Amino acid sequence: MRTRLMSLIALAATLALTLHISAQAPKPAAKPYTAPRTPDGHPDLQGTYDLATLTPVERPAGAKAALTNEEAAKLERNVAAQVEARGRDIAGERTAPPKGGDGSTGAAGGVGGYNNFWLDPGSSYTVVNGEKRTSLVIDPPDGRVPQMTAVARQRALARFVRPTSDATESRDVGLEPAGSYDNPEQRPLGERCLLGFGSTSGPPVLPTYFYNNLHQIVQTKDYVMILTEMVHDARIIRMNSQHLPKTIRKWMGDSIGHWEGETLVVETTNFTDKTRFRSASEDLRVIERFTRVAPNALLYRFTIDDPATWDRPWTAEYTWPLTNDHIYEYACHESNYALENILRGARRREADAAKKEE
Amino acid sequence: MRARLSITIAAVMAAMLAVSVPVFGHHAFGAEFDPNRPILLKGKVVRIEWVNPHAWIHVEVTNANGTKEVWMVEGGSPNSLFRRGVTKDSLKIGAEVVVDGYQARDYTLKRANGRNITYPDGKKLFLASSAPDAEDKGK
Repeated sequence: MRTRLMSLIALAATLALTLHISAQAPKPAAKPYTAPRTPDGHPDLQGTYDLATLTPVERPAGAKAALTNEEAAKLERNVAAQVEARGRDIAGERTAPPKGGDGSTGAAGGVGGYNNFWLDPGSSYTVVNGEKRTSLVIDPPDGRVPQMTAVARQRALARFVRPTSDATESRDVGLEPAGSYDNPEQRPLGERCLLGFGSTSGPPVLPTYFYNNLHQIVQTKDYVMILTEMVHDARIIRMNSQHLPKTIRKWMGDSIGHWEGETLVVETTNFTDKTRFRSASEDLRVIERFTRVAPNALLYRFTIDDPATWDRPWTAEYTWPLTNDHIYEYACHESNYALENILRGARRREADAAKKEE
Repeated sequence: MRARLSITIAAVMAAMLAVSVPVFGHHAFGAEFDPNRPILLKGKVVRIEWVNPHAWIHVEVTNANGTKEVWMVEGGSPNSLFRRGVTKDSLKIGAEVVVDGYQARDYTLKRANGRNITYPDGKKLFLASSAPDAEDKGK
């Protein structure tokens, strides 16, 4: 929750700055970068990338598309100061937190989460074409995801969607309606350690704004693999191939790719009804474009096309900086005490309620 | 303009520092832990499970009557800590710690979330995320 709040505040500041400071002069286009080649002659995209960023998916209405370097530096320093403040000592001699919850609202449901030292959200705004961007969305030009169609809104309401590929798994502010905890299959994919939250596995691949933002690309002539740190998801893209029959549907969809000059273009269709990127339909089509733009960075751009959900396609982009850090095995399911605790909590409540009735 | 800008920045900073509350992770915390069962644990670390999706720190607490019980305290994903250079030696078995949080909804379990985990003097166990140099990114 704090991460989201932090982004909101950063955006409020962005908006405020927009009102106060005139826009920066546009920069001349830089000379295109030519990536090193793989043995089969294609641009080499391989490496591990850290997708953490302060730039949110959408920007507030009316905010400008980019920050000046000075504005961005100030906001980034503020975030760094906040992180530093949260790392400071507290009273060793303290009491238990208040009964009834600690007063925090939102997904943590008043019990809080855990110490800040576990977290690794973004520390800087994404830089594209030398601009410090205020949103990942670039089309529509207002930097906001288009409104959903009336049909899509109806569909989203009618279906009890388990957030899987797009939202955090922590929407449960307290307790969900009866039946939500009857068995593991009722729980969201993220909570079950089957896919990471925040559309980290994608497609489209988004930052988690929380932690575990590493992704590794491995390339051969016929396949490109994207390994996602959380929850250890590997998406395998078949090069110059055809889509599977429509009857075969996959959690991360069916991805096929081809090269357009310096750019790897990937089309993904055949999604299941278990994964719903922002309540998209099964006919969601995602086009991703991966381009090495510098020795240490890749530009990732995606277009969402789903006429059954949005009346126009929309596009977002952000830079993936290379990192020397390693992805550690996630092995999420094996130690998922959280799911056990959630289900046991529900059984305990039922047992206590049955005792009262006797 | 500069003065107004400074005021804006100051206000934003103040707002950011004021909202320093713990955050949530990959699951519904409200469903796992009970807001009506706050706990404060003081004891020594007897075991650490450096595992995903959440690390668990086992803390042995001595009750008023001298009996001992071991509580499991939920932390975050250890991956970021590893990348920050935290090792098994960074938190030693036997270290005295203080934990505040909330007990699991199945209260027969001695399990809680580690809303704050500190040493007895209030020092956090590990340094918070250090901000990498923004200038290194995206060039």
